[in-house]
Amino acid sequence: MEKLNSGYGKLQILFDIDLEVPKGEITTIVGPNGSGKSTFLKSLFGLTDIYSGRVTYEGRDITYTPPHEKTKMGISYLPQTNNVFTNLTVRENLRIAGYILNGDELEERINFALEVFPELRGILDRKAGSLSGGQRQMLAMATALVRKTRILMLDEPTAQLSPKLAQVIFDKIVELRDNYDITPILVEQNAKRALEISDVGYMFVSGRVAYGGSAKSLLNHEKFQSYFLGVVGIEEC
Amino acid sequence: MIDVLIGAIVWSNLLVLLALGLTMTYITTGVPNFAQASFAIVGSYIALTLLRLIGLNPYLSIPVTFILGGILGISTYYIALKPLIKRKASIEMLMIATLAWDLILFGIIGAYSEVLSAITKKTETLFVFTSLDFNIYGIPGRLVVSSLLVLLTILGLYLLLYKTKFGIALRASMENPSLAEAMGINVENTRLFSWFLSGALACMAGSVLPYLQEIIPQTGYFIVVSIFAASIVGGLYHIVGALVGGYIIGVSESLFTYILSILLGPGVLVYSKVISLLMMIVTILLHPRGITGTEMWRRVERWLNL
Ligand SMILES: Nc1ncnc2c1ncn2[C@@H]1O[C@H](COP(=O)(O)OP(=O)(O)O)[C@@H](O)[C@H]1O
Ligand SMILES: [Mg+2]
Repeated sequence: MEKLNSGYGKLQILFDIDLEVPKGEITTIVGPNGSGKSTFLKSLFGLTDIYSGRVTYEGRDITYTPPHEKTKMGISYLPQTNNVFTNLTVRENLRIAGYILNGDELEERINFALEVFPELRGILDRKAGSLSGGQRQMLAMATALVRKTRILMLDEPTAQLSPKLAQVIFDKIVELRDNYDITPILVEQNAKRALEISDVGYMFVSGRVAYGGSAKSLLNHEKFQSYFLGVVGIEEC
Repeated sequence: MIDVLIGAIVWSNLLVLLALGLTMTYITTGVPNFAQASFAIVGSYIALTLLRLIGLNPYLSIPVTFILGGILGISTYYIALKPLIKRKASIEMLMIATLAWDLILFGIIGAYSEVLSAITKKTETLFVFTSLDFNIYGIPGRLVVSSLLVLLTILGLYLLLYKTKFGIALRASMENPSLAEAMGINVENTRLFSWFLSGALACMAGSVLPYLQEIIPQTGYFIVVSIFAASIVGGLYHIVGALVGGYIIGVSESLFTYILSILLGPGVLVYSKVISLLMMIVTILLHPRGITGTEMWRRVERWLNL
């Protein structure tokens, strides 16, 4: 995206965001609370007011493409909370994720999603509202797979998960990139560990890009260290 | 006494049908529809018209009232609400819009009853179907028909909501419209469907109501309290709430009135809505989400694996 300015109504949150997401790589955005990371993902998906700038995807201008159209183009966004239907069972969640597909194709996609997330097989008839945080996150990612996602935007998928479960989710994200040709865009509080699995890293501060480059270079960057190392240290004990 | 019980069950059945629509449109559109009771009276007059003009038994005209009612529901959404929703009107404005729509319907019903009286040369501003009712081994038709209608509606809704793709989409849209939109579901269609069903069920109930009580153009104003009480006491956020609330309010109203009339004489019939109002107020004050919104209900659901 180029020079993206966006926000909610008159309240501008993001300023001149220039950011590129390379295909087939994991891009991670880190930054302090309230720096506009979530707003950024929402802007990409079309859930905020965009004042100026451009978002392009494979050469197409999709700045003002409505969310359901983006879904059809293979762009998925999993919000931090409420990313599954809690009143529906796991199976129903998967079926509804492929609402736009026809019957045979839907079955095929659900089977595929269950191959990637075999953890869900045993709980297909449970209500999503009764799942643990980790199961719920996996279900959310599985619903994106049913939709034939190419670009998968994840807002803090490991928030409130134990370090062990967080690692399982991170491993899945790597697997999606390596084996299924999916481009994940990740927003993370677990900044250090997220960057360790990422290819590209951006750091947001107050709605602006403070740093952008390879994930490794961001990990070693002094701004990142001064913002995060203390926090990460606490998180990991 | 047995008559009182029969009356209580018939009234509860009709309330369930009326409250179901109110709850569904509330969930999908976020606005309490004050015209719900007038939908029913429109249904009563459609049934009356078909009876007078072509001699069709009101029970047999139910499919017609169902469909015309659905059209009335959709018109309500399109004419009274959608233009305002597009302009991002507040919930208060939408409520006032349904109130205005109710007044319009009331005016139309009043005028129409006069026109119909002129055509049939009878007084159609007050009518009942009681003398037309049938009887199976002493069981009155209104009990059989209203119970069948509730059973069919619940069975139909269950199959639709749990066994079809559209139904799952409908439940998804009710829970989280923006996520449903992101999945490529056309949430607007689910809204239209809820308005169709709401109007259809209400008119259907309205065509049975004259078997139970006298209908005048103002009848809507008496029953609207009961419908809201049923939906609110049962829980406005849960379709099953209409079912639970419908029976609680229907039975309480009937029995309360019966007991009061024994104690104080028939003059108290006018005050039968007091019990509904009270139950509604207590619910709003103590537990605004109603019975189906309680933790205990959630436990029952989990236990039944719903
Ligand atoms: N729906 C909204 N309406 C108005 N302001 C919002 C909304 N969501 C977030 N904000 C504001 O936008 C800013 C950035 O929030 P967010 O993008 O959630 O940051 P982050 O995800 O980096 O913690 C915050 O100041 C927040 O209060
Ligand atoms: Mg956030």
